[in-house]
Amino acid sequence: MRIFGHEAAHSSPRPSSSALFNRRDLIRTALFAGAASVFGPEFSLAQAVSSGLTAAAKGEDGSTLLTDPNWRAAFLNDHQNETLIVLSDVIIPGTDTPGAKEALVNRYLDLLLSVQPAEFQRKFVDALAYIDAESQKQFGKDFRGLGADDQIWLLTPWAFARQPSHWTARNDTRNEAADLGQQHFELLKALIATAYYESEIGQKELGWDGEFTHGPYEGCEHPTAAHT
Amino acid sequence: MPQDVLQQTYDAIVVGSGATGGWAAKRLSEAGLKVALLEAGRAVTAREFTEHIPSYQLKYRNHSPEIVRTRPIQRQCYACMEYNYEWFVNDLENPYSTPPDRPFTWQRLRVLGGRSLVWGRHSYRLSDVDFKAASRDGYDVDWPFSYPDLAPYYDVVERYVGISGAAERNEMLPDGQYLPPMKMSCGEVRLRESIQKKFGRTLTMGRVAILTQPHNGRAPCHYCGPCERGCMTFSYFSSPFTTVKDAVKTGNCTLITDAIVSHVDMNTGSNKAQGVTFVQRTTKETKQIRGKVVVMCAQALESTRILLNSSTREYPKGLANSSGLLGHYLMDHVVGGGASATFDDMKALPTANPPHRPTGIYLVRFRNTPATGKHPHFIRGYGFQGDSMPVFNFNAPGIGKDYKQAVKTGAYSITLGAFGESLASFDNFCEIDPNLRDAWGIPALRISMAHGKNEAAMMRDAGVTAAEMLEATGAKNIRVTTGVEMPGMAIHEVGTARMGNDPKKSVLNTFCQSHDVSNLLVTDGSGFVSSACQNPTLTMMAITVRACDHLVERFRRNEI
Ligand SMILES: Cc1cc2nc3c(=O)[nH]c(=O)nc-3n(C[C@H](O)[C@H](O)[C@H](O)COP(=O)(O)OP(=O)(O)OC[C@H]3O[C@@H](n4cnc5c(N)ncnc54)[C@H](O)[C@@H]3O)c2cc1C
Ligand code: SF4
Repeated sequence: MRIFGHEAAHSSPRPSSSALFNRRDLIRTALFAGAASVFGPEFSLAQAVSSGLTAAAKGEDGSTLLTDPNWRAAFLNDHQNETLIVLSDVIIPGTDTPGAKEALVNRYLDLLLSVQPAEFQRKFVDALAYIDAESQKQFGKDFRGLGADDQIWLLTPWAFARQPSHWTARNDTRNEAADLGQQHFELLKALIATAYYESEIGQKELGWDGEFTHGPYEGCEHPTAAHT
Repeated sequence: MPQDVLQQTYDAIVVGSGATGGWAAKRLSEAGLKVALLEAGRAVTAREFTEHIPSYQLKYRNHSPEIVRTRPIQRQCYACMEYNYEWFVNDLENPYSTPPDRPFTWQRLRVLGGRSLVWGRHSYRLSDVDFKAASRDGYDVDWPFSYPDLAPYYDVVERYVGISGAAERNEMLPDGQYLPPMKMSCGEVRLRESIQKKFGRTLTMGRVAILTQPHNGRAPCHYCGPCERGCMTFSYFSSPFTTVKDAVKTGNCTLITDAIVSHVDMNTGSNKAQGVTFVQRTTKETKQIRGKVVVMCAQALESTRILLNSSTREYPKGLANSSGLLGHYLMDHVVGGGASATFDDMKALPTANPPHRPTGIYLVRFRNTPATGKHPHFIRGYGFQGDSMPVFNFNAPGIGKDYKQAVKTGAYSITLGAFGESLASFDNFCEIDPNLRDAWGIPALRISMAHGKNEAAMMRDAGVTAAEMLEATGAKNIRVTTGVEMPGMAIHEVGTARMGNDPKKSVLNTFCQSHDVSNLLVTDGSGFVSSACQNPTLTMMAITVRACDHLVERFRRNEI
């Protein structure tokens, strides 16, 4: 997908239709970067002729995998899985609406990671490990063992854009770790937000009532020149 | 397939059942001709539509590794998703090559209906500023017909298809036969009024092949949103459920799916096409079918590939290629320039609830028009598509409760993306790659295309003008893009068998008939002389109907 809508970028369902705030595009780019874009003759070694329907077209519900009572992680180890649950719940906590933990964000991400190229898997694992390492440095404990306040204290500086020093207008050169931490954190936050907002709980959070139609789009009903 | 289907000689064989092939089959069979409609892909049914399946019911929620594995090219198309990727060609089975420094993305479907199943449905007329562009700016040649020749066929197509839109009386974008337009948001009305006043430019609601009222037995749109996954109420135009259905209903049209046409068969003695050879998709058996006329509607690059693969002793460089131009003058619109911003003073909350209007706005070309005069840096022009509405702010900073709230508060966004004319150039072409075959053993294409300086200047200008218009409308946080996307990205490829009056300088005549072989027609986008900047499919369909009516006339006069 591109930044600017091709005709039917306008036909994607909200919330993924706007470029400016399109988290899904960000993820898509992150996940699929590096796959071949132009192909040579090696691709002509075609295999069996496919014919079929996608699972969706066959009406299969893929979401039941995540709610299976016997669910087991396919990619993450126990510590990583627990860390991800805790982290996702700090980033998107339960409030008056359910949060990332209830939306089983960890399970979906585990499934997604299990089919990603090794390079991407490594990036994810490194990011989790980085957060633990920083936590160890500051508190002598892994992230999942911290109290809620300390978790927020650790993550918050990474969760906002950085700016140059007020005094010297220099970038914060003494604290390169902050930038690295930010990169790791942004990857995790983007994945967690996608997994949350694309879940059933997340769609409800965004106001979806489960219906596919509420009549035509009525648009602007203001008098002429009301906006100019 | 019953054997007798292949025993008879049809009046016409139509190759491809997409936007243009559906029209050819309908028009010819309704005129009483016996038609065989050959389609490379399988049949589709409404049962496999997925527009009402939420993405959380997909195993990978639209990030399926299967798409990455089998559709490395197709996944560059925003409409190729975990829902519907089986409609798109499997790239492993359908290869093509490009020179390393000239990438081209060829996004296509092989299934009944072709790309009409997933298209964006924007439908605009070309004007005489387009058909006679060469006479105005001296670049290349005019089309062999002018707007009044095509206008009645635009009428026919629009009336049948059902295009919702508004008349604007702008000479760059002739008005047509419209159903009521969809509605504009407050942000869009704001932009429309402001640029009309400050720049004299026209912004209109997208003219789209989506019904806003009942039409020809189809129901109006219910605003669920994701049309590219199908529409169980058939509210947007796709050929299987309209033109192809009508054709089959006449009793004169035999639909043969899973028939991959490899080449046209010639009767060399009479210099006439006598039918086509195809490979049955699943069994890979080779079969032949005979017809008095062959009408190619497999889409620009595929139709040309078939002709290039149909060389004979008389036509060693490809069938109907005495001009040497077959494959050349490949075009696709240039995309990449534009801007987006926010209206920070507009307060409206985004929602994931319908209605989801399945289209956007269109800003009519304003460069190099009779009214605005010559631009110093480029010829021809571009139009913008876009939209403006409240959107969620998933990129909001922060964590916790505040982040959750910021996502929902969102922002009022506005986006404009340009589609520009791609100049016809002999150096942009396709040919057969001698070392590459598809899974059915049919030689595959090598596509060599690059956008040039004119396109680059145009996209830069598009970034500038989009930003100017947004700024003049009071938008904030303006972000600009001025780049040029790789060719193919607009999915509007046209050309490769250009029309013209001079057989030495063109492949087809004004009625899409080969200059060399009188009973061979190519009515899809192959014949385009220039790309203009409007989305091309409406024009392809109108050209197809014009060509078919002319063909029926020739049948009546016993010229076939
Ligand atoms: C995502 C997307 C959005 C688009 N949006 C717009 C838009 O908003 N407005 C617009 O004007 N255009 C749009 N387009 C382009 C539009 O879809 C095409 O211009 C149009 O479909 C071309 O019509 P066609 O009949 O030439 O080819 P298609 O509709 O592609 O149909 C070709 C058919 O031929 C069949 N075929 C191919 N090879 C063979 C063979 N060897 N033997 C037998 N059959 C064969 C194919 O299987 C297919 O069914 C869009 C395209 C895409 C993919
Ligand atoms: S938005 Fe309208 S045209 Fe598109 S699938 Fe839904 S009902 Fe059909």
